[in-house]
Amino acid sequence: MSEHPTTSWQAMQNGTVFYRRQQLYSIMGKLPDLGDYIIAGCRYGGPLAMMRDNTKLIAVGRATPAHAKSQIQVYSSAGEGLLLFSWENSRIIRFGWTLDERLVVLNEEGIYRIYDLQGDYQQYSLGSEASEVGVVDARIYENGLVALTGSLTLLEVKGWDGARPMTLANPGLSDPPLSWAIIPPDLNISRHVEVFLSVENTIYTVDNLESVDQRLSQGPFTHVSPSPNGKSLALLNAAGTLLVISSDFQRHMAEFDTLNVPSAQGNVKQVEWCGNDAIVVTWDSLAVLVGPFADTLQYLYVGNTFAITETDGVRIFGADVCDLIQKVPASTLAIFRPGSTSPAAILFDAWENFSQRSPKAHENIKSIRPELAAAVDRCIDAAGQEWEPYWQRRLLSAAKFGQGFLDLHNPTDFINMGQTLKVLNAVRFYEIGIPLTYAQYSYTSPTHLISRLTSRNMHFLALRISTYLSLKSDVVLKHWASAKILRTRSTTGGTDKDSESNGDDEVCRLIVDKFKQLGGVEVSYAEIAKRAWEVGRTGLATKLLDHEKRASDQVPLLLSMKEDRLALQKAVDSGDTDLVYQVLLHLHKHLTLGSFFRLIEDGGEQLAPASRLLQVYAREQDRDMLRDFYYSDDRRVESAVLALEEASRMKDPAARIAAVKSAQKFFSEDKDRSFEAKMMDESSRLLGLQQQLEGEADGKVVFFGLSVTETIRACILNGMLKRADKIKSDFKVPDKRFWYTKLDALTEVRDFEGLDTFSKSKRSPIGYEPFVRHLIEKGHNKEAVTYVARCDPPKRADLYADCDEWRMVGKECKERGDKAKLEELRKRCPNSLIARELEQLAMSMK
Amino acid sequence: MSAEEQYAQETEPSLDANLLKELSKKALVDALNSVNGSKTLVLDPSLAGPLGLLTEVALLKQHGVDKMYWLERGPLTSGTTNIVYLCRSRVNHAKIIADHIKRHAKESLKYNYTLLLVPRLSSLVSRLLEEEGVLGDITITAYGMQFLPIADDVLSLEYESVFKDIWVDGDETVLYDSAQALITLQKLFGLFPRLLGKGDHASRLIKLLTTYLDQSRDSSIPDALSEPSSKFNSLIVLDRRVDMITPLLTQLTYEGLIDELLGIKNSHVEIPASLVNPPQNAPTDSPAALPTGTSSNSLRKENKKKYHLSSSDSLFNELRDLNFSHVGKHLNIVARRLDDDYKTSLQSKTTAQLRDFVERLRGRLYSEHQSLRIHTGISELLVPMTRTEQFNKSLEIQQNLLASYNVSEQISSIEEMIAKGADIETVVRLLCLASITSGGIKAKALENIKREFLQAYGYNFLPLLLSLAAPSLAILMPNPLPPSTPLAVQASRYPFASLRKSLRLLIDDNPEAMDEVENDISFVYSGYAPISVRLVQCVAQKGGVLSNPAEKEKAAIASNGSKNNAQAGGKVQAHPIVGWKGFEDILATIPGKIVDEVQNPVGVATPLGGIARPKDKAMTTVVFFLGGCTYTEIAALRWVARQHRGRNFLIATTGIITGSSIVDEIAGIQKTMAGPKDAGI
Repeated sequence: MSEHPTTSWQAMQNGTVFYRRQQLYSIMGKLPDLGDYIIAGCRYGGPLAMMRDNTKLIAVGRATPAHAKSQIQVYSSAGEGLLLFSWENSRIIRFGWTLDERLVVLNEEGIYRIYDLQGDYQQYSLGSEASEVGVVDARIYENGLVALTGSLTLLEVKGWDGARPMTLANPGLSDPPLSWAIIPPDLNISRHVEVFLSVENTIYTVDNLESVDQRLSQGPFTHVSPSPNGKSLALLNAAGTLLVISSDFQRHMAEFDTLNVPSAQGNVKQVEWCGNDAIVVTWDSLAVLVGPFADTLQYLYVGNTFAITETDGVRIFGADVCDLIQKVPASTLAIFRPGSTSPAAILFDAWENFSQRSPKAHENIKSIRPELAAAVDRCIDAAGQEWEPYWQRRLLSAAKFGQGFLDLHNPTDFINMGQTLKVLNAVRFYEIGIPLTYAQYSYTSPTHLISRLTSRNMHFLALRISTYLSLKSDVVLKHWASAKILRTRSTTGGTDKDSESNGDDEVCRLIVDKFKQLGGVEVSYAEIAKRAWEVGRTGLATKLLDHEKRASDQVPLLLSMKEDRLALQKAVDSGDTDLVYQVLLHLHKHLTLGSFFRLIEDGGEQLAPASRLLQVYAREQDRDMLRDFYYSDDRRVESAVLALEEASRMKDPAARIAAVKSAQKFFSEDKDRSFEAKMMDESSRLLGLQQQLEGEADGKVVFFGLSVTETIRACILNGMLKRADKIKSDFKVPDKRFWYTKLDALTEVRDFEGLDTFSKSKRSPIGYEPFVRHLIEKGHNKEAVTYVARCDPPKRADLYADCDEWRMVGKECKERGDKAKLEELRKRCPNSLIARELEQLAMSMK
Repeated sequence: MSAEEQYAQETEPSLDANLLKELSKKALVDALNSVNGSKTLVLDPSLAGPLGLLTEVALLKQHGVDKMYWLERGPLTSGTTNIVYLCRSRVNHAKIIADHIKRHAKESLKYNYTLLLVPRLSSLVSRLLEEEGVLGDITITAYGMQFLPIADDVLSLEYESVFKDIWVDGDETVLYDSAQALITLQKLFGLFPRLLGKGDHASRLIKLLTTYLDQSRDSSIPDALSEPSSKFNSLIVLDRRVDMITPLLTQLTYEGLIDELLGIKNSHVEIPASLVNPPQNAPTDSPAALPTGTSSNSLRKENKKKYHLSSSDSLFNELRDLNFSHVGKHLNIVARRLDDDYKTSLQSKTTAQLRDFVERLRGRLYSEHQSLRIHTGISELLVPMTRTEQFNKSLEIQQNLLASYNVSEQISSIEEMIAKGADIETVVRLLCLASITSGGIKAKALENIKREFLQAYGYNFLPLLLSLAAPSLAILMPNPLPPSTPLAVQASRYPFASLRKSLRLLIDDNPEAMDEVENDISFVYSGYAPISVRLVQCVAQKGGVLSNPAEKEKAAIASNGSKNNAQAGGKVQAHPIVGWKGFEDILATIPGKIVDEVQNPVGVATPLGGIARPKDKAMTTVVFFLGGCTYTEIAALRWVARQHRGRNFLIATTGIITGSSIVDEIAGIQKTMAGPKDAGI
């Protein structure tokens, strides 16, 4: 039987609040002396990363050998070694953990690497500016980092994909801050990161817009520490006073003098938070918990300590133990507090009585009947807060016992809690060493836990847990496959080619089978293939890639594997034009122009979309390339069109004529394009003529670039009638079009005399009705009348009416004896005078 | 049945297309908020129109937009440290942006640059920025603007030049974007249970749709993509190649005619300012806050003003789909009704009645009055345009060509139009129409008219003629085809003559009968039924292809005596969607692939057509036009929807087109009419 939960409790605030110190692991002798190391702890029960602190002296001859190079060791919370790697780059400025348990290591040149727990890393840089001035310090949080450069400006990086660093507002410092801290973006109202710099007596808050002096006077502050929810700040000043204020600097919440702690010796080492409402101040072998009302609890340790803030408590490492100190949760308090009479406590009591076959059980239950459901829920919750399976089981049993008295109770919570505790107990086991609390587990989600397990290469456990919680297992499988590829390489490495290809087949089959068997339908094979490619197993990569359905994942890898043709083919098949462009641009850059064209041309119908996209792109971007492309493929018509397009953009007449001529040449080389060639011939002739015309008109009239019809029109408008006739015959303009054009042009210059001569020059090929209509349309009714007589007799009456010549209407109708027409037109008369006249006329007709 | 009654029909709860608008709006706001502090917005002019449908300037200001500029060449000065570019992923835009950044660097000005690319990231753009050496200075994110509702039942991607991209350049980007947009639609409302399509590109789109649907399913969260929709019953995809004839014809509905003659851009039409004034207080009409361009280009030149043709205008809703010949009459009725309203109110005796009247005067009556004035004004603008010789001659040629009446004479008429200097667009439309309907123009005549064309409009239009004859388009072909023509082109000859019969394209309506009732979708072209909509009818209203159901309805009205009874009882329940059944033979004669697929959710095999649904629940059929559709086709589809209980249409398109806009795209003619400098926001 485990100790009663209350044995680890200590009261505060006159016994209304309790804090408990839960020993998680005994780590006697597993970790080196914490005092000699720079340490970064990962939240949510994560590992510790440690690096020798070179500023400290170390006794020679101890177990740890002296290293010239920096070396980082990673230990789990249970003190198990997870990883050890050495650092060859320049001096490490800081290291810290990401949300997904990867270690970020930043050096003074602004280079940062992100290591996973297997020692693989990605490397990024903070940019050239940072590397020039150097980086002096940084704060790393779960989803990004803020670096302080040598020129005392702040750079922010969001996310861990190598995003471009953003410059925050310049605080204008002359010396590095005494200490500083950040609140991550998701905890701020502004959703942007906020930096707190301790400068002289005050604190500066800096975000990407501005730097504000908060005008505090109690400084200088040696420690700045924001609470896990970002709402409060703990500040420790040089005089040893601990201030707690809200992070918007509006409220002072508490003040505490650390110098008064009796057993404290030396300087304060760390100021960390225990959840969101208490602060832990540590010295060598002492941790003092400061509550909201400045009441304290003292915890003594052997040797040096290291504390890590958790969202619901604080984890403290001593030389021999790893502890979790947290406020006793409400449900646990309600049940186990001595003398508690809460329904949950009574329910637990009832169950204990029941298991001892005492009749008191029934009375107990009866007394809390109305609140029984709530009591059951409390017991379930309290079970989640307990560390010992013994007490978890007892509390769950009590809940189950209580449930029996309820008619309707949803058992989901009970079942979930049972499942969760099983999972939590499994991962808390010292060999795995993830001391995750229920609250942390709920906050970070089960999938997060699974990925933490896979990153420790604990695939089997991860798979079991994800099946147990009915989660998709593809994440685990993917990681497993990558690991598998790495492992198999070491076994088959160095053998001949044939066996390697056999090995590829086998590994590929193994992976695909496993995926199919475990239902990982949506697993992306591309990622795994990439892995295989990275470790130099091209054959395996190709085989795996065949199973990939997403072209967007497939193509980049195919490109880096130099499978150009296949990459282009897959991109075209995907219908994603951007992907096609990606491939085209890549190939254009890496291949010679000739082989690039050949690749596309040889693709035939299958690669035709790519060829067309290339043309679209080249038409805007790279006309020379397009010209070569058409030329190399003997595409005469396209070459000609390209020349024409260029011609239309040219300002210089000579160049333009040359371009048109070259188009003509291209067309003439294709026997089916004789018409087009002829047209281009005409076109260049016309352009030449227009140049000449402009000369004749002393450059006052623009002819160049007009069409044949427009040229004729322009000639007439400017009185160059002879020229117009010449163009007509030179370009074989049909009579009709010429007449319409001339009619329009002469009307426009109001050359009615000329129009008259023109109309009589020969019998009009368009008749005379268009003359009348056109003149009316342009408002020359008087002039129009003269042409009516030359129109078809039946239409004349109407045309006269349109010209407003009503007398002539009457006359015409009378002549033709068309009474009906007269009656019809009479209705349109503009005034009664004419109407009467026409009426009389109508009367006179039979 | 008057139009009024048609609209008064009970509107069955259909799906809320505005949801899409809200999504896009939220995405925009989020994108703006991701940049802290006040910012300068630099806007791609081609996005101004679509953006105007989405949001107002006030909203942008609320989210920190301090000033707005057009994205254009030349220097950019900004008062804020943040500059946000919002533009389509085009290389030209990237060039301008790179130029700005380099300029600023030279003047050692420091800004934070953010680039929002519509609708997604582009490797071309990032490559260019990289080559220019500025990629490191700019944060690039995608702003996925997809379908925008331009009416309650119409969604549009508002892309320009889609037709040219696909069928002239062979750039199929829009297919990918459309597939993504349709997936978004399914994410909101569930899977289309059935996918139907006609046309090679339609088939390709459907293939992309199914491929990417598999990939966009989030494996861990079950969402709308894992079950068939309870709202949709099918998706019909038609690519524009399947029916090239319809856009070539002159649209004759009110809205269609406005688009043909005045031009509608992003639901806005430009009309003389005097028509829109006195300024209304309607929210759609607040161009006072127009962004100021850096260029001196005045936004309000020519005294023209943009007017939003919105479906919230009830009078416009009544008018938009009417044949223009009925619009005058309808306006008259409304005018008289309004007049009556005023009169009755003058007789009101008590102060309470008066107050009531004044209230109404301020509200409904006032806005109705306004919209009556505007629409009367617009139709007065249109009438003279429909009286011109060119307009009527063109109509006449169209009708004759559709009836295949004396084709060679029509060609001569077209030649005469060229001689008279008709619009290039009109001429090209007629020529293509002649070629398609009669299977090509006689080689000699074609060569002659091409020569005429080039001489009249300029030899620089030769590439246009080549594009129209290119195998991918093949809508201006000689007859017989030259022996060198690819086989595919020879096989893709359009079977117009047989379709005219089998799909009942020409309806011999005498004009008097047309006044009485709109019997068939052919009312939109005064006697010609658009093939595209006939194809939709092949799926959704099989009876309507064979005969005029409305005639039966009319008989029912006559026998019932009371119109209202007939309306309630006369409307038939829509038949379930069973694919192309019954019309497979006809469909097979039209070039292009045929698609008919049942889309099942993952893992669950639902028997074909066995999806149980409540009988009376209205289901929506989505019709997607790849390559754009005309307002007339929308009007015709609305007519089809009105004939049934239990079926709504949601029309989705890549953009609204007219025959002229297609010609302009291909010819590369920039319409200066609207001017890219004008924003609807």
